[in-house]
Amino acid sequence: MINTVKINDNISLSYIPMEKLKTTTIGMYIHRPLKREEASKNAILPHILKNGCKKCKNATEIAQYLDNLYGAKFSAGISKKGEDHMICFDFETISDKYAANGENLVSEVVDFMLAVVFDTLDEFDETTFEVERVNSINKIKSIINDKRIYANYRCQEEMCRGDAFEVPRLGYVEDMEKLTKEELHSYYEEVVRGSMIDIFICGDADVEALACQIKEKVRGIEFTDAKMPLSNIIKRNREVNKVTEKLNVTQGKLCIGFLTDTGFSDSDYFSMVVANSVFGDGAQSKLFNNVREKLSLAYYAGSMLDSYKGFLMVNAGIEFENFTKAYDEILVQLDEMKKGNITDEEFEASKGFLINSYTASYDDQSALISFHLGGRIRGINHSIEDCINSIKNVKKEDVVKVMQKVHLDTVYFLEGLGE
Amino acid sequence: MKVIKDSLTGEKIYFKKHESGLSIYIMPRKGYTSNYAIFGTKYGSVDSEFIVPGEDSVTKVPDGIAHYLEHKMFDQPDGSNVFDKFSKFGGEANAFTSFNMTAYLFSSTSNFYENLEVLMDYVQSPYFTKESVEKEQGIIGQEIRMYDDNAPWRLFFNFLGLLYNNNPVKLDIAGTVESISKIDHELLYKCYNTFYNLSNMTIFITGDLDENKVLEVVEKNIKSNVPFSGEIKRIYPEEPKNVAGKYKKQTISVANPMFMMGWKDNDVGYSGEKLLKKIIEMEILVEMIFGKGSKLYTNLYKSGLINQTFSCEYSPQKDYGYTACEGESIDPEKVYEEITKHIDNLRGEGLLEEDFNRIKNVVWGDYIRSFNDIESYAHTYLTLSFLDINYLDYFRVYQSITFDDIKSRFTQQFNNDVSVLSVVSPQ
Repeated sequence: MINTVKINDNISLSYIPMEKLKTTTIGMYIHRPLKREEASKNAILPHILKNGCKKCKNATEIAQYLDNLYGAKFSAGISKKGEDHMICFDFETISDKYAANGENLVSEVVDFMLAVVFDTLDEFDETTFEVERVNSINKIKSIINDKRIYANYRCQEEMCRGDAFEVPRLGYVEDMEKLTKEELHSYYEEVVRGSMIDIFICGDADVEALACQIKEKVRGIEFTDAKMPLSNIIKRNREVNKVTEKLNVTQGKLCIGFLTDTGFSDSDYFSMVVANSVFGDGAQSKLFNNVREKLSLAYYAGSMLDSYKGFLMVNAGIEFENFTKAYDEILVQLDEMKKGNITDEEFEASKGFLINSYTASYDDQSALISFHLGGRIRGINHSIEDCINSIKNVKKEDVVKVMQKVHLDTVYFLEGLGE
Repeated sequence: MKVIKDSLTGEKIYFKKHESGLSIYIMPRKGYTSNYAIFGTKYGSVDSEFIVPGEDSVTKVPDGIAHYLEHKMFDQPDGSNVFDKFSKFGGEANAFTSFNMTAYLFSSTSNFYENLEVLMDYVQSPYFTKESVEKEQGIIGQEIRMYDDNAPWRLFFNFLGLLYNNNPVKLDIAGTVESISKIDHELLYKCYNTFYNLSNMTIFITGDLDENKVLEVVEKNIKSNVPFSGEIKRIYPEEPKNVAGKYKKQTISVANPMFMMGWKDNDVGYSGEKLLKKIIEMEILVEMIFGKGSKLYTNLYKSGLINQTFSCEYSPQKDYGYTACEGESIDPEKVYEEITKHIDNLRGEGLLEEDFNRIKNVVWGDYIRSFNDIESYAHTYLTLSFLDINYLDYFRVYQSITFDDIKSRFTQQFNNDVSVLSVVSPQ
């Protein structure tokens, strides 16, 4: 079970033992409030830090250092959970018992991780900064590459305009262009000292020794007050916003945004999770079985729930001329649920699907870390068992009731340029 | 059952060749909460021309039929969909078709044996009607269209189209809207009866399970099957050593150009341990030349020609193979030029033994890691078993590889005469 130790007021270390796997997964997450002034800096910063620190001066030294630790994995990036804009550093190493010469791999990786975040170079390297600036800008522009992701992104953008959540995960091209490396370095100083930081270790490790190692490392740093960013769900009723965009594509992408008026802290949250699954999450769902299987309108048709912001998104890839058919069918299925037309099979299968996904995370270190990190962001200390029990306790009438709150907000359609 | 043991980790796999012809592998994994079963046939998109054992004439079927057949296997004689049955037992089911295999699988955290019975039942119960086969044209048509707009997919198939003159690996797995329109239920039965004969199939089961109980349930659920006495003769067109083209560029609305470049492997035609050795040598070589710790990667990254999307991999099969490097770049032609130049330089200067020693560690770690995820382990094991490779021989073969092996493999594989470049670009 998870064991959390406070390193100091800002930093927490959580350990989840899991010895059946042959690796240990380690992550450090810096929580920042999602806002325009910081977003672009948050997005580029992990990519600068991953390219050099005092321990390994440049990217090649870092890569070779990790190669020597049996190819330990390291990635850095940015994540957005509600209004928490998280700077992430993820590592994975084979566990110590599989090292050929008795090396302490976990401790070495933790040491390296602390160096990357806390012992950065006194000045960022000019070439690295310029290369990563271009890369960061390209990443923003590349959202268009996968039309399925792009349509979903555009629908969210339309739906969240005016809300704090509208700030994109990857930041803004124009802000990236203006940023200087000196400005970013002083922002870095502010971030490491004044943010809540979570360290997670899942696998096979001596957590007390690692806690000492971390305390020792950060002892000299003067930390300032920090708090966890909070998220609010979007609540409003407005006329439906309909957007059509034309691009050179052969398949249309339909994306429909609904507001649920339900967030993770609400007592009917798990009813909403089950409702979403009956509606469109999984091969047992109404959307899969009607839009795809019965009407053959789409290869994919499904829904996902954002519990931080309280919205539900439906995605489907269809022929352009089938827009009305698919749109109508999706709304018909929503209506069916509101009327209580849910079979026992659909209901039980959807609960089974969710319970299966929760249970499966017991075999996956990254999934477990992600689950518990989600709990830290939400300020709710659920175990996986708690979630499974909550799912089990949901009744069909709860699903019907929570579905009454779901209302249409945004319709986005990506279509071709025509002949 | 025969037991095979991994010398490095102590993991065990139980094996039995059933009298029906089915190969059964069971790998117990203590402490895992998920169980997983994958039931595969050595039959993929490349197998469009073949001779059924006992027949004289060649059967030729439309491209995309293996994938079409996979879709139609989910239909049940009572009109229901097999997903419903899995859902009832909490199993998460799926299927896929690749160039060389088709596989049906599920994972579950409860009711494992009920799910296993569903899996074994439906894969052994084809039910195709004229109507149900026609109905699928719409769904698969949309799947093909989805790939038409998918830049990485187009990039990949254009790349294969450059490498191969005749090998059917260059054709889309799902076929074309035109080719699938020729598929009917009779053709599906013909392919089913050939390639889904149990002597052409393997089941791999893993999780926190008792191997004897698993075997008992598997054997009970095998339907009567007369194994083929001979091989299914697969007919592939003759593939010359040269590449079909050097360069192809396609315009798709993407933000930045994407490239896939690589080298055709002309040392082909064998499977088994010899192929396993080549696979491991290529893993080491690719990491030595293109890995993040390499000189080439550093120079390309620092000059802004590649970014974190860059990756490189060798793909092995019995009758074909290739090394592919892909990523985004502002100037794909320049990347190609720099990489092929570097390869020429390496051919002159030679590889460094210190790089070999460093990368041997990385490959060790990756092998240990491969045990973690039971699903991808099962995929790897199954894929390799169709190439007559026992994945548990990996560590022994790995230990036998010397720097000299790597040097000669390099000379043989990285020949710029058979290098190609595929580009997808916004204009």
